[in-house]
Formats: sequence, structure tokens, C-alpha cells
Amino acid sequence: MSGSQYTYLWRPLQLGPVTVRNRIVFAAHLTNYAEDGMPSEQHAAYYEARARGGAGLIITEEHSVHPTDWPYEKMIHAFHPEVVPGYRRITDRVHAYGTPIFAQINHNGGQASSMYTRLPVWAPSAVADPLFREVAKAVDELEIAEIVAGYAEVAARCKEGGFDGIELQCSHSSIVRGFLSRATNKRTDGYGGSLEHRARILHEIVAAVREAIGPSLALGVRLCGDELIDDGITIDETVEVAKAVEANGHVDYINTSIGVATASLFMIEASMHIPPEYAMFIPSALRKAVNLPVVGVGRFKDPLQAERAIAQGHADLIGVVRGQIADPDFAAKARAGHHHDIRLCLSCNQECVGRMGLNRWLGCIENPRTGRESVPLPPPVRAALTKHVVVVGAGPAGLQSAISAAHLGHRVTVLERDAEPGGQVRWAAKVPNRAEFGDLVRNQVLECDRLGVDVRYGVEATVESVLALAPGAVVIATGAVPARPWWAPPEPDPADNGAGFADLKVIDVLDVLTGRFAPTGSVIVIDELGFHQATSVAELLADRGCTVEVLSPGMVVGQDLGITLDMENWWLRAGKKGIVQTTDSVVVGCEGGALTVLHHPTGATAPKTADWVVLAVPAAPADHLYRELRDRCAGTAIRVHRVGDCVAPRRAHAAVVDGDRIGAKL
Amino acid sequence: MRLLEPLPLRAGVTAPNRVLFGPHETNLARKRAIADRHLAYYERRMAGGTGILVTEEASVHDSDWPYERAPLASDCADGWAAIAAAAERHGTVALAGIGHNGGQGASAYSQRELWAPSGVPEVNTREVPKVMEPADIAAVVDGFGAAARLATASGLHGVEVNAGQHSLVRQFLSGLTNTRDDDHGADKVRFAREVLETVRNGVGPDGVVGLRLSCDELAPWAGIVPERAAEIAVELLPWIDYLVVVRGAIFSVPATRPDGHDEPGFNLGLVGQIRAAVHAAAGDTPPVPVFAQGSLVDWGQAEWAIGDGRCDGVEMTRAQLADARLVAKLRAGEAERIRPCILCNQTCKVRDNRNPIVSCVVDPRTGHEGEDPDLEPATPVTAAHPRRVLVVGAGPAGLEAARVLASRGHAVTVWERGDGSGGMVAVAAAGSGRSRLAAITDWLAAECARLGVEVVHGTEATAGTVGEALAAGRFDHVLLATGSLPGDRTYRATSGAHVVDAADVLAHPEPDGDLPAGPLVLWDPIGGPIGVSLAERLAATGRAVTLVTPDLIVGTLLSRSGDLAPANTRLQAAGVALRKRAVVRAAKKGAVTVEDRFTGEHTELKAAALIDAGPRLPDHTLDVPGAIRIGDTVAPRTIYEAVLEARRAALAVEGMPASPIPAGAHP
Repeated sequence: MSGSQYTYLWRPLQLGPVTVRNRIVFAAHLTNYAEDGMPSEQHAAYYEARARGGAGLIITEEHSVHPTDWPYEKMIHAFHPEVVPGYRRITDRVHAYGTPIFAQINHNGGQASSMYTRLPVWAPSAVADPLFREVAKAVDELEIAEIVAGYAEVAARCKEGGFDGIELQCSHSSIVRGFLSRATNKRTDGYGGSLEHRARILHEIVAAVREAIGPSLALGVRLCGDELIDDGITIDETVEVAKAVEANGHVDYINTSIGVATASLFMIEASMHIPPEYAMFIPSALRKAVNLPVVGVGRFKDPLQAERAIAQGHADLIGVVRGQIADPDFAAKARAGHHHDIRLCLSCNQECVGRMGLNRWLGCIENPRTGRESVPLPPPVRAALTKHVVVVGAGPAGLQSAISAAHLGHRVTVLERDAEPGGQVRWAAKVPNRAEFGDLVRNQVLECDRLGVDVRYGVEATVESVLALAPGAVVIATGAVPARPWWAPPEPDPADNGAGFADLKVIDVLDVLTGRFAPTGSVIVIDELGFHQATSVAELLADRGCTVEVLSPGMVVGQDLGITLDMENWWLRAGKKGIVQTTDSVVVGCEGGALTVLHHPTGATAPKTADWVVLAVPAAPADHLYRELRDRCAGTAIRVHRVGDCVAPRRAHAAVVDGDRIGAKL
Repeated sequence: MRLLEPLPLRAGVTAPNRVLFGPHETNLARKRAIADRHLAYYERRMAGGTGILVTEEASVHDSDWPYERAPLASDCADGWAAIAAAAERHGTVALAGIGHNGGQGASAYSQRELWAPSGVPEVNTREVPKVMEPADIAAVVDGFGAAARLATASGLHGVEVNAGQHSLVRQFLSGLTNTRDDDHGADKVRFAREVLETVRNGVGPDGVVGLRLSCDELAPWAGIVPERAAEIAVELLPWIDYLVVVRGAIFSVPATRPDGHDEPGFNLGLVGQIRAAVHAAAGDTPPVPVFAQGSLVDWGQAEWAIGDGRCDGVEMTRAQLADARLVAKLRAGEAERIRPCILCNQTCKVRDNRNPIVSCVVDPRTGHEGEDPDLEPATPVTAAHPRRVLVVGAGPAGLEAARVLASRGHAVTVWERGDGSGGMVAVAAAGSGRSRLAAITDWLAAECARLGVEVVHGTEATAGTVGEALAAGRFDHVLLATGSLPGDRTYRATSGAHVVDAADVLAHPEPDGDLPAGPLVLWDPIGGPIGVSLAERLAATGRAVTLVTPDLIVGTLLSRSGDLAPANTRLQAAGVALRKRAVVRAAKKGAVTVEDRFTGEHTELKAAALIDAGPRLPDHTLDVPGAIRIGDTVAPRTIYEAVLEARRAALAVEGMPASPIPAGAHP
């Protein structure tokens, strides 16, 4: 098998003075790996892993060009000359694989607060950003000159640090886009008004940077094709800006993006609910207008999809960010013909995008190495010391512990009660628009296959059956079971779908997903988990024709959907599906076939009823087997561990990191 | 003064006074170690006279990593030793705060499960913790002992154990969070006893052990109530040398250290009740001193509370963020010169993912002791070349600049257009529950008066009048602190529409702003305290008010001060209609049109007036070449930026040549 299904993806391309060996770009994205404003060892290890994995071009996360720009804590402060050794560490490690690496440099303008800088926020006009909500200081011409000089100074510093090119982020979070956009540029001087005037700072920066770096480095400009806001930039204006940039002759390529990071972020880093290629119209339009190579981005997670976009002429290069966060070897596997071995990104946004807004280091729900590249892997276990590891449960925790143990050289057997792997992930992926979440299981099962893990389905593990396998170590990953709140009446009878049940029919979300019960008519979904469980099932039932109300004790339903950028689209879909959202409400009892609901801000209680009540509430660990085995094996050489929900019911990432931690230390 | 009387804590350890600087999050740590910047921050309070200082709580076990820069006891030996040395220099009793957040921690940093007595999720994270196994309990108890040993080995006087908010010890004590079916469930105090006994042994016979105890979890259905807390406190007395009474638990996190919407001293009834029980249990032995906590920011109230027998000492943490020399000023008989805490919680509540450095809006040097110059040294600095400075505007920026300049020997004149001082602070203070804000501008005005600043009210500065004064050689420098103007309208307003700025309504002497009769619509695209407090004020006059916000929740920025949930409760109790996820698109006579952000649907709301609480614009009406702008005239922001820029400008004046403005440049 070879990469022959690709005609364009492996074709080298010239970006000014720089040759890229393939069309897969690890485009710029925040990592929160900086330490006290300096590039870290983790940065170097992170980018190195993607260079080793075959990326055609790496573009680093943004570096700030001026002390007035510090919108989030862990930003690289390129305005300090001390960054250069950190740059060298990154570029040397990436160049060892022959991969070019560009530095993205930027000033976030008004999309910032003064919290870290203790200085006024600088922007084209005194407009408050929609996220930070701090009124900015409108920069005067001296300050504009200072910013332009900052770009040039930092670009020269990047050249000194060994970068092969510079990318100017003029797109989703940038003072340059701030100037380009009528929404944020209200100036009446030579930097405001006509498009030509609004673009003036861009041309000044481009010229200054080109002068600073000379002809030996590539220079790219990343433009926003549509801000998706009132009075925002649209593609027509961006086409004009791109043409003007090309005409100046300083620039070697155009990169693209969509949205404004502080207003429409959910469309920049779209989750699985947004169709792939949603932003293709932007590179497509630019490529028709300019001769410069154009980079397309937007949920490209599969090499064939990237190939097709190039083949159809939409773009010359494709940004694959989350795909390479999940699998650093994305390009190498595709090129070698092992397309199916790629650990597919789920576009779940839980540990990558989701951790950025929370000021935490970038990780990945399914790749426990992401964010830990600088931490050495444990050495393989000497053959004489390998064990037979028995894992009970083929959910994400069990499978990951099997993978990590097998990587060390242990022989691993997984016992799964059901006929299929995946545990609760399997059910979570069965709801509208969430199928990609199921790729977590697909990826783990394929990796188990490659590592020779023996997964046995339909096996109910007991103390005896586990011990009969003569394990050296046991990992229990038996998950969680639904828990019923104290007020819930007994469970209705699944045999007749609860038809003969006299009381209110209260079931768990899992009962809906597994088909154990099939609610009809009116349904109340109780959301105490604040994530996809309640909203997914609400949508599923609304799609089946139910009248659905979601009840939350919090101020919003699905509190954490905002973290993964799923909140806006949930509201859009819920509105279309007629789903009612009721907040600040706690169930405090159940009487006469109705819930007693307390509206806690006012203290008012009222009865509320429906044909069915579906619970998205904390589960209970299924830890019986763990306890029995632990007690039975006490004093023996057999070590018993537990991972995932049977420790404490949490989200999938916790299961994966638990599994990896235990599996890798066996 | 009772506050200044020494307080014996233990044989050989007597606090020099009864003012305690309590443990709190600072984000000053380097990784998880108490750091150099902690030392600068704490030493400033020690030099200012605090009697007892408790350092930021350190986790006793690596199963606890509640926020990124939360200290870890085993990483704190050097930091604690440096603080102990400083305490020695200043005669302060210095203790290490120690604890474990249990189920109220975070798994994001450790990438590990949370540990708790039972599998009860915390309200905001909703994360189900692991039910601690016997070995886990033993490990954490050992961790408490090791932390106590390390603290005293580092030279500190002892430790304070947290059984207040965010604490595993309280989680074991409470029926809300402890539903165990083993010995630690049957006897909910057992874990606390084990911890304190281990800690007592750890600090040794001379070491001080303090206990911070939540004595009202504000959840009487299963939580600790005051009567039960009194019993718990008495049961734990044998191991402790002082007790701090606090309130709050998982359902009431903001209630432990609320902003100014709770009355200062709100815990004084509770603490009196607990102290009575502690005294009754003492018999013939000296009773364990009991400290009051809870927005105690006024020395007079603190003094009264001790005199009235409510408590033996007072935690005054925020008061000493606002004025690090609180005790020194009391000792010097300068109580009126204490810079007041305004209970805004704007920059001192830093358990926040963004890791803000602890600071204070009225003293931005707080938390930045290592970088910001000391403008209030024990021996006042007099400028080598006194200057004559004109400050335009008597808001917080103008007054702070005037105060600092005058304190350094410069001759300062303030021209203020209005009849009173305070600028936008006086306006904001007219919002419901915000009156305490005015304390800072009142204090600034009083300090300016004491320092001989000439404040001229009713004087509109113009390019002409300022130019004339400069031409006449009356001033060497000009500072512009002229504040802000209403912002641009972001919607169509047709003639006949009654649109009014929020600041104008707040500034109006009539509580309802003398707005035309009928329902009112308030547009709040910011979600801070201004819109919310104005809605409350209007509702209190009986007006029908609809608050329109583009956000999913009302007052979204209030989460930073802890007022988000309380504000939403107050608004709903007051009957304010909340129109969420909506943008104002048009205003006409009698009606306002709003658009739903998600459905795009337009709705017309009846409105006698539309009140705009949107962002404001800098007031550049007055322009004086060469003058320095400070505060809202740079960009409309908060008191913090106004005070910070005022200080920088005051120092900049000293570094600038006199008369930078050429005479004759003005008409």
C-alpha cells in the first residue's frame, strides 16, 4: 500500500524562498505552553513531534509584538529579546526533520484586557471588545508607528531565532483586523474610512517586516474571510485586501480564517456539530483572485478530504490542527498508506480548545501524550519482567490502560461484558451530530489490534474468571451505573415501556440511548451534569416528536457547552426543535405523578409533570468487582488497580488519562 | 483600644494585637511554592503592624491542586522560612495556612480524580469525586502532620487548619458532603480530630494551632447549623489555640467573603454565639480566643465587636489589602487616615482560571510590591524640585494624583466642573447596594484637604482658561482627569424616542431618575455592576423594569466579585424582567425593539424610556498639548486603572522638565 490515492498532497510547493514538501500545515494555534512569557521546552517537544510525524509546514502560535498586548496569561512575549534561545530550541528541533517552521507574530489590539499588562488596551478606536468588555484607547499615529516597529523588531528576532518565515495574524484576533473592520475602526484619519485607509496599517506592517527579514524568509498574511458579526468584514472586502497585499510584492502566501475570536469563536474552532469544509468558500474565493498560494482551514481531519480540497482548486495547502494534535503522525501515516491508523480527531474540543479558554495547557481527549511531549516515556519493560495484564471493561479507560500496558511489552487481555467496546462513549455517539465522538473507541480498538491486545467480548468477569487467567496485574474499568435521586419513584417496567406504571415514569438518559425505554409525548430532561448528556437526549427525543423541556439547577442548561464552543449551536438547534429550557430549578420531591420544582432564586415551588422524566444526573461507580478482587488479592503478588468511572464517574478524558497512567506504570 | 491589646495564644506566643491577616488566594506563588513576591506582599502587612499573619493555604497532600498556583506544603519550606524571618523582624505571629480542598478542588491541573468523603459533586464543577478509602484518609491525615512539622521547622509559629470554605475537613464534618457508612460517617468529627491531633503533634508543644471553621453552612437541611457548630468547636478545643468563625459551604461559596451587598460584620451574631459556647466549655482554664471574620473592614466596628464580647480578635484581611498600615495608623492615632476597603471584590478575589495577581482597586500596589514604587514610605519623601500642578477633574484619578503629588511636596490645584468630588465613583455609588464605593473618593478628598490641595469646584476648565493660567505662569504641569462621555448608540433611535444614559439616571437625585411614567427598558451589554445596580434601584421605586442582555445570563461579569448568583436572586426577587440573549435594535416613542440573538426574532417592548448602560467614551472635550491624561479620559474603565494611572502620572511629573508647555502656545 502506498500513498498513491493522493495526487496533490505530497507535491512540494514553493512559498517564496521556502520549499514545503507536502501540503499539510500544522497551522498556528494557542497552546498555553509559554512559561513567564518565554517559549518552553514543551513548545519544542510539541512542534518536534509534528515535524517527526511528517507535517509539511509548522506555524507556531502567536508571539506578541508589543507590551500592550497580553490578553491571556501564557502568551509568548516576543518583545523581550530573551525569547531568542527559546526560538532556537524550537527551530533546531524541527529542522532536524527537514521541516520548515514559521513564526506567527501579532498584536491582539482591542481583543484584550489590561489585567495582565496594567496598561490601557490599544485599538483603532475606543470600542469595547464583546468578550473582554474593556473600552480601548484609540491609538494615535505615534502609537501606530510603535506597533509597526514592534512587528519589524520581532520579525528580525524570529529570523535570528532560526525561523524560516513569518506569518502575520491579521485575522481572528488582531489589531490589523481591528483596523480592517468597520465594526471596530471608527477613525476619521488616514487609517479609517475607505478600505484603502483601513488597510493602511497592514501594508505598513508588511513593508516593515519584509525590510526587517530580507528576501531569505517567507512572509505570509492570514486574513479573515468573514467576521460573522454586525458590520463585519465579508469575503468581498477580503478579496480586495488580498489583491492589494499581492500587488505590493512582499508576501509569499495567504492564510485564511473565519470569525472573530472574541465574538464568533465557535465558528473558528468548530466542533463536530459544524459540517467539515464549512469555511472552504474563503480560500476558494481568494485563490481565484490571487496567484499567491492560499491555505485553507476548517475541520480538515482526514487526509483524503485535504487531497480533495486541493484537487478541486479550493486551496494550495490545508491546515490540519486538531487532526495533528490528536495524532502527530497524521501526515506520515497517510503518506505511508496507513490512513486507517490515524487517530482521528473527534472535533469534541474538550481538552484542546476547551482548555485554552480556561488558561490551561493544551491537551487532547484521546491522546494522553499531547501536552506531555516533553515528559519522557517510560522505558519498555524487560521481557523477563512482562506480565499478563487482565483488564475488565472495554470502555475508554480499560482500552487505554490496555494500550499503554501493551506499549510497555506486557501481554494484555481485555474482558468486556457487552458484545461491543466503548462503554458509555458508544451511547454518547448515538445522538444527533455526535457520531464523531465514537471515533474515540474506533481509534482505541484499532490501536489494541495493532498491539496484539486480546479483547474478548460477551464475557462477564468475576473474581474467579479473572484469577483463572493467572494475571500478574488486574485493571478494573467497569464504569458507572445510573443512580436514582432519592425522590425518584421505582423504575417503570421496561417490558411494556412503562405502560402499566402508575407513577411518574422516571428513567436515565442511558435508558433512552440504549433503547431500554422509548419515551413519547411530553418529556422533562433534568440536567444536573451540565454537558452533552441532557442536551443530546433532549434533541434525540425532540427529533422523535416528543415535546421536550430541559430543567437545570444552574443559570443555563448545559453549562459546560460554552467551553467546547457548542453553546451557540445548541441554542440555535434547540430553538428550531422547540426545546424549552428552564433554569434555576431544582427537583425537591415527587408527589401524585408530578415533580415538585423549586425555583431557588425566588424560593417558589410548583408542581410540574410530563409523560416521562429523563435524568442526566451523577452516576455511581460500579466498583463491586474492584472491591472483591482487591480484598481477595490482598497479600498476594497480584496488583489490583481501577481506572475511569469505577473510581469516580467523570468525562471521557479522565478515563483515558487514568487508563494511561495505570497502564504505563505496570 | 481593645484591638491593639496583646493577645496570648499559647505559652510563649503572644500576638502583639488582635488584628489578623487571614489566608487567601493570591496567585503570587512560583509554580506551587510560596515565593519572593509573597514575601514582599506579606512583609508590607507585617511592617504595617498586623498582629497575626496566616499565609496562603498550602495543600497538605498532592491529591489536592485546587488552582494552578496553589501552594503545596512540601514545596513551601524556603518560602515559609523567609516569611518567618520577616515575622521575627516585625514582631508578628506568622502561621502557615494549611488544608485540603477535597471535592471542591480541581482535576484539571493534577489530571487526577478529586478525593472527598462521599461522591457528592461540587455545585459549579459538577465533578463527582472519588469516595476516599481508608488508606486515602490516612495519607491526608499524615499530610497534615507533615505540613505542620515543616511549617514549624521553617521557623513559623505554627499553622492554621482550614475547616471553612473549600475544605475537606468541613466536608467530613457536614451531612451535605459526608454520607459515609463507616466510622468516619457515623462520627463526622472523627476526621477533624485525627487531623488536629496530628497537627498538634506536628507543631510541637510551643507551636500555635488555629482552626478556621464554617459555623453555618447556610444549608440547614443537612449542613452544619450554628448550634451544631458550637458543639463541634467545643469538641475540637483541646487541640487548638484560636478559632476563626466563618460561614458557607458548597451551595454558598460567595457567602464566605461577599462583596458590599452583605453588611460589614454580618457574622458578628454567629461568632458571639460560638464564643459563648467556647467560654462556657472553658471552665477554669483560659478560654480559647475566638476571631470574627466577615467583611470586617472598619476599625470602629472591629473595636466594638471585641468590646461587646462578640469575639477576642478580628480578621481584617481586605482592610489590610486596602491599607497595609491599618494597625500602624491606629497606633499613631491616625485612624481617620486609614484608606478604606470598599468591599468591591474587584481585584482581590482571585480564585479565577486567569490567575490574576491579588490586588486592590484603592491601592494597586497591593500584590505588586516588588514592581510598583512605595508612595507611602514610613518617612515621607519630599520632591527635590516642588512643582505647581493643575489637575482637571476631581474623580478618583484626579484626586489620587493630587494626593500623591501633594504628599511629595508639590503645590496642587484641582479644577472640578461639578459641585462635588468623586466623579464617576459618586455616580456608581448611587446604584443599589453600592453606596460604600463613595468611601474611597471621600477619603481621597479628605486626604487632599489635609495635604493642602486646593480643590476648586464649579470651574469648567477650557483650553482658554487653562491656557491663560499657563501663560500667566501659574502652573508647571497639567494633568487631565476629565472622565468620560456617553457611548455611541448601537441601535436606531427615531425622534420621540426617550433614550437616556445610565450614568445620568444614577446621578439624578430622584431615585427613579425622574423618567417618564411607564415601563422602563435597561440595555446592559456589559454585564457588570452598573446595569444591575441601576435596575435594582429603579425596581425599588416600584417601576417596571426589563433588563436586556446579549448574554445567556444577567450580570455575567459579576462572577468575578462573587455577586453573580446573589445579584440574579435579588433581581428576580425585585421583579425585574430579564430579557436574555437579546440585542436592542431600535427605540421609538413608547417602545424598544429587541432581537433574539439565536432566533433572530424581533420583539417590541413597551418602554417609556430606554436606559443605555453600554460602554462609554473618553471625554476629550478639553485638549491641552503636553498634558498627561489619566483615568477614564484615556479609556473609560474602573477605579483600579484610574488610581494606577494617577500614581504613574504623579511620578512622571517629577521626571519631566518644568513648564513643558511653551508659554504663548495657548490663546
